[in-house]
Amino acid sequence: MLHGFRYAAPRSRSELLDLLAEHGDHAKVLAGGTDLLVNIRGGNMKPGLVIDVKRVEGYGGLAWDPAEGLSLLPAATINDVLRDKRVRANFPLLAVCAQDLASYQIRNRATVIGNVVNASPCSDMAPALLCLGARAEIASARGSRSVLFSEFFTGVKKTVLAKDEILERIVVPASAAGTKGEYRKLKRINGHDLGIVGVAIARKNGSLRIAVSSAAPTPVLVAGLPGTASVDEAVAAVLAAVSPISDVRCTKEYRLFMIETFVRRLMEEMK
Amino acid sequence: MTRISLTVNGKRYERDVAENRTLLRFLREDLGLIGTKEGCGAGECGACTVLFDGLTVNSCMVLAVEADGRAVETIEGEAKDGKLSDLQEAFQKHHAVQCGFCTPGMIMSTRELLHRTPKPTVAEIKEGIEGNFCRCTGYQQIVEAVLDVSGQLEKKGELRHA
Ligand SMILES: Cc1cc2nc3c(=O)[nH]c(=O)nc-3n(C[C@H](O)[C@H](O)[C@H](O)COP(=O)(O)OP(=O)(O)OC[C@H]3O[C@@H](n4cnc5c(N)ncnc54)[C@H](O)[C@@H]3O)c2cc1C
Ligand code: FES
Ligand code: FES
Repeated sequence: MLHGFRYAAPRSRSELLDLLAEHGDHAKVLAGGTDLLVNIRGGNMKPGLVIDVKRVEGYGGLAWDPAEGLSLLPAATINDVLRDKRVRANFPLLAVCAQDLASYQIRNRATVIGNVVNASPCSDMAPALLCLGARAEIASARGSRSVLFSEFFTGVKKTVLAKDEILERIVVPASAAGTKGEYRKLKRINGHDLGIVGVAIARKNGSLRIAVSSAAPTPVLVAGLPGTASVDEAVAAVLAAVSPISDVRCTKEYRLFMIETFVRRLMEEMK
Repeated sequence: MTRISLTVNGKRYERDVAENRTLLRFLREDLGLIGTKEGCGAGECGACTVLFDGLTVNSCMVLAVEADGRAVETIEGEAKDGKLSDLQEAFQKHHAVQCGFCTPGMIMSTRELLHRTPKPTVAEIKEGIEGNFCRCTGYQQIVEAVLDVSGQLEKKGELRHA
């Protein structure tokens, strides 16, 4: 039995922002619900009001603008990303990371925005968005702001979002189109499982970016490496940036070992 | 309570539901459609899989109020006029059902897979059921059943029986 709450499904953006302004301190936004409903069921979250964003006009799916890039809207699911040919053609790393997230039927519901707002260290979409230099367009009744994902995560399950704010749009910049990328995720089984560690590598025009999941309180980005960096240099930079812990999934030492292994393998594969 | 109106297996329903009721509980307890099962209640096992506007979802993680205006399909919609569907027959023929607890979810997942990919590869079938746990069969029989309904039983050789 889920704890009791009220439910609202606003149809317009202004209705949504008003609801958040008035009830933000005890409300939770509902997208795919694959984190939120599990948290409510487990008693970790007890919102008085659940605000479903999927019926807000203009909040569905993906949009593409040649100058700006790719927009992922609040109702865009992981499978929407996987079905989109423009994503595969321009930002293959997004598709590779999406493919590794949860199971097929969860991907039918789970949204990209829900994944980053949930801000788990093991988020599978964060590495791709970090590597691609994506940004979050955030709105509230007070106004709008734009935050790069490298500044978005502030701790385990914590982000820069205030209680009355909504993440309205993720923008993957057009300048990142054509970035080559790969993601390696260590799991206990070949089927669906949360990551033990994950490493994403992206290369474009002589620049190398590496992002790591499950290796620190937030997803980690190592930017600014030159495209000519050697395997050892890349490994050293990544190991200096991560701070994994031992937990139920594995030890800190094993995480460090596998992060190094994945960085080495991906660097070799993506020369 | 919120009033919702939806179709389940093509039949129209209008009901008042509590906002915190899951679609799974609504189907089982309000509509009496107990074919859909609850295993974990948290997205892990897939026993609760139904089609929601044509796509599989874990109904334990969907609120009934979210189904307002939507079309839901459950295992009860498979058999027509007392006759099992092709998938149900194939599951039976290949012994893809043992205790049967995972079966409604398995059938809904493979039904959606066959809608989007009429001739799935073994890898596509495995991906299609990755969110459906079966503690009895070991999965091979389920994959065989899907190969059979899609007219590709010759691919059975790609499966290794442990
Ligand atoms: C069995 C299982 C397996 C999983 N496996 C993985 C996995 O392998 N990898 C992985 O990364 N994740 C995994 N997850 C976690 C989850 O599925 C993802 O994080 C998913 O992308 C969350 O999206 P959602 O739309 O369901 O979010 P919701 O549950 O709807 O929301 C998540 C959080 O974000 C907030 N939120 C949602 N949208 C907005 C918005 N527009 N603005 C502001 N706040 C918002 C909500 O209030 C909530 O706090 C798994 C979950 C389950 C149940
Ligand atoms: S009962 Fe829904 S996934 Fe297990
Ligand atoms: S037949 Fe028993 S769980 Fe699958």
